[in-house]
Amino acid sequence: MKLNDAADFLYDKAVEKGLKVFDIVGGISESTGLEIFESKVQNTEISYGSGIGIRIFREGRPGISFTEKLSSQSLIQTLEDAISNSEITDPMELELPEKQTIQEFDLKIFDPGVNEVSFENMIHLGLELEKIAKSKDIRVENVPYLGVSKSESFSVFRNSKGVSFDRKSNSASAYVGVTASQGEQKKMGFYSNSYKSFSEFNPEFMAGEAVTRATELLGASSVKGGTYPVVFSNRVSPSIIGMFLSPYFADVVQKGQSRLTGKVGEKISSELFSILLDPHIEGMPGSRLYDGEGVPTEKLELISNGKLNTYLYNLESAHKDKAKPTGHGSRSYAGKAGTGVSNLFVKKGESTLTRLLRAYPECIYITRLEGGSGCSAISGDISIGVQGFLYQNGIRIRPLDKITLSGNYFDVLHKIEDISNEYSDSYSSMKVPDILLSEMTISG
Amino acid sequence: MDTLKAARILEAGRECGADFTEIFVEETRHSSIAFSDKKVETATAGTDFGIGIRLIYGTDVLYASTSNEEIEYLIGLIQKLSKTRPSSIGNGVFILPDKSQKVNGQMIALDPRTISQSKKLPLLKQADQSARSLSSKIVQVNARAFDSVSDIQIINSEGLYLTDHRVHSRFTLSVTASDGKEIFTGTETPGAGRGFEFFESLNTEDLGKSAGERALRMLDAGYIKGKKMPVIMGNGFGGVIFHEACGHPLETEAIRKKSSPFTDKMGKSIAQSCLTAIDDGTIPNSWGSINVDDEGTPPQKTVLIENGILKNYLSDRIGASEVGVPLTGSARRESYVYAPVSRMRNTYIAAGKDSLDAMISTVEDGLYALKMGGGSVNPATGEFNFAVEEGYIIKSGKITVPVRGATLIGKGHEILPMISMVGSDLEIAAGMCGAASGSIPVTVGQPSLKVDEILVGGR
Repeated sequence: MKLNDAADFLYDKAVEKGLKVFDIVGGISESTGLEIFESKVQNTEISYGSGIGIRIFREGRPGISFTEKLSSQSLIQTLEDAISNSEITDPMELELPEKQTIQEFDLKIFDPGVNEVSFENMIHLGLELEKIAKSKDIRVENVPYLGVSKSESFSVFRNSKGVSFDRKSNSASAYVGVTASQGEQKKMGFYSNSYKSFSEFNPEFMAGEAVTRATELLGASSVKGGTYPVVFSNRVSPSIIGMFLSPYFADVVQKGQSRLTGKVGEKISSELFSILLDPHIEGMPGSRLYDGEGVPTEKLELISNGKLNTYLYNLESAHKDKAKPTGHGSRSYAGKAGTGVSNLFVKKGESTLTRLLRAYPECIYITRLEGGSGCSAISGDISIGVQGFLYQNGIRIRPLDKITLSGNYFDVLHKIEDISNEYSDSYSSMKVPDILLSEMTISG
Repeated sequence: MDTLKAARILEAGRECGADFTEIFVEETRHSSIAFSDKKVETATAGTDFGIGIRLIYGTDVLYASTSNEEIEYLIGLIQKLSKTRPSSIGNGVFILPDKSQKVNGQMIALDPRTISQSKKLPLLKQADQSARSLSSKIVQVNARAFDSVSDIQIINSEGLYLTDHRVHSRFTLSVTASDGKEIFTGTETPGAGRGFEFFESLNTEDLGKSAGERALRMLDAGYIKGKKMPVIMGNGFGGVIFHEACGHPLETEAIRKKSSPFTDKMGKSIAQSCLTAIDDGTIPNSWGSINVDDEGTPPQKTVLIENGILKNYLSDRIGASEVGVPLTGSARRESYVYAPVSRMRNTYIAAGKDSLDAMISTVEDGLYALKMGGGSVNPATGEFNFAVEEGYIIKSGKITVPVRGATLIGKGHEILPMISMVGSDLEIAAGMCGAASGSIPVTVGQPSLKVDEILVGGR
């Protein structure tokens, strides 16, 4: 059965069973993609997946279940599973949102033009990307990673209080990963981006960026360990901010796993640092009118000039703190509700990147993070391999690798000395400019 | 899927010019129960269902996945896929399967589907109580027990028609300690290719104690001053470095793209003679073992490196033919959503002869990385980074104070020759491995071992 019909069927069966409190989440994801290697299409993939999940509360006890089989038999089994799961959980207090009228408008996250792009066009783009990447620089050895894809997702939501909505979005993406070598050294350069329509792709720019990112690091070596002023490029600053979002989530605070416990109303960072969450920006991938639990979303300033204004709430954590849900509930059909953000902006400063790099006689400009496993959102520890460049008086001296960066996120926030006036070009729900920190520890 | 429906799909593949057509049907039943904040927070159950169809033209792959099982839709998908290629007639072998054959599976004593989720509850509570009883500084315990049962069919145009039954169970525990300022989390995450008997065999009280004690120890730990130094790696999960930095580049998926530092190194010395490394898909009931790989090839025990010499790559159908190596039964995928590629199973460095004490005693100034956290590697360049969850400074041949926030970075093929001593205390530990064909259960393992020099990130 179709997803909307499955949601209605599950809804009716839940009512028939006498269930009074429940919500239903369903989703469909479709994608078509290809990979190019050595001038031919090596892999082609078409995928279509759908699933639906229900969360019920019986005397406050939650039970969750889901299925990817949308047959009536499987949906009935799913409901039975939820009921039997609710027999073993402890009560969770929360109020599902009531139906209310909100001002609906087009978020412009779905473009019919994306779907009309033919496979031939996608192949053409991929081959062109490879050709350009190989011709850009003699040191380019190989293009081991290159793909073009388009995807679409559709989700439905229903709850027992009558809240009902759906959301449809799509995008087109491409990535190019280039290896370049010089002597024994090999470096990889990667560029990927997503767009709302295929006409926005610029193969010359994309391939060029990937090649530059590989070749500019050739000849890299380590630097003497010590403390240095550091500039995070706007390519990597969203990853750093993204790895440390959970301490702002009320459920994490309530479980004693956030170092921001008791800090609402206090200054937690440099005054230059403000975070705005805005779910209503047209054309941004995180935009949504409702959160994953059916709460209408709204704009919120999380940090204003260094001051923490609030934690981010879903239904359960809001009930626990007797606070109003902030519209940050997240939920997929297969799991429990969590907390999440829509579009996040670290507010731009006034300086240019050049000025940030010139602020100190010597600084390290970081353009690549090597994984995030040494970063813990709970402790705030940052210990991560990085690559980038040594700058002296604003002039690039040489590329750096085999170095690690360490510090603690909650201390680092106070060391922000300047923020640039530019976001990266990435089609992402996280927008963070380049950031200058007065010092961090580098080992080499 | 019955033979008639399968035959129609395979025929459609041939009509579209494919040399080889394969159908992968999966139905997986999951159940999970989570204990957090001193209460049973969630109980979840669900079913994944779908079909993956792979068409191979030479070594090019076309793949479609869907949760829609209607035959007309599936044939439509094949036609849509094949339109992406110039038309031709397939020249592969074409044998329609007649009846299914059941793969000999792991011995499963208690099918998780027949056991109520409530039976897992006491285990979660025991872990919680045991950790919390250690100290008032233990502020949170998250424990989760989950299992999955998959019924798989693998059918292909060479007459293969297998059914496989796969069972996995896992217990994950994280214990958070806080002194009001610092916070640290210790984890334990055992898993097995077993049914409910796995949970019965666990001592969750010990697991709670071990994760809790680690969190408390590390809460008080200082930071290490970063630099290049010798490192003694602890046994068990320490093997994650070999997995990431050497295992992935030994998969034919990396070799065939010439993006591995081990390309053209077969038969050559890539490590000291004390080092032998193995990827074994056959260890009974191990978390990373398989009954059959996702192309229908039986698993084997594959020696990757023997006394320092590179002996084998891990291959899948396409990798084997392109690189010119035998099949190792290593084609794996997370689910029907992914086309299978060469992946690891139970990967470990074999036991050697050195004792841990002997290794520690050789280090003047270094790090004992007793328990590793996660990490990642760039397969094209071999550059890796790993977090050390529990570490100790070694001074003058003795283990001294605990340190946190250490990271190890380097390149796999450069670190491998620097392993100079290998212990006898081999252990393997469960983990999840993410790559092109999704997230799959694997184990990593090693005895304690000495790396002569590695860059340690610290403060």
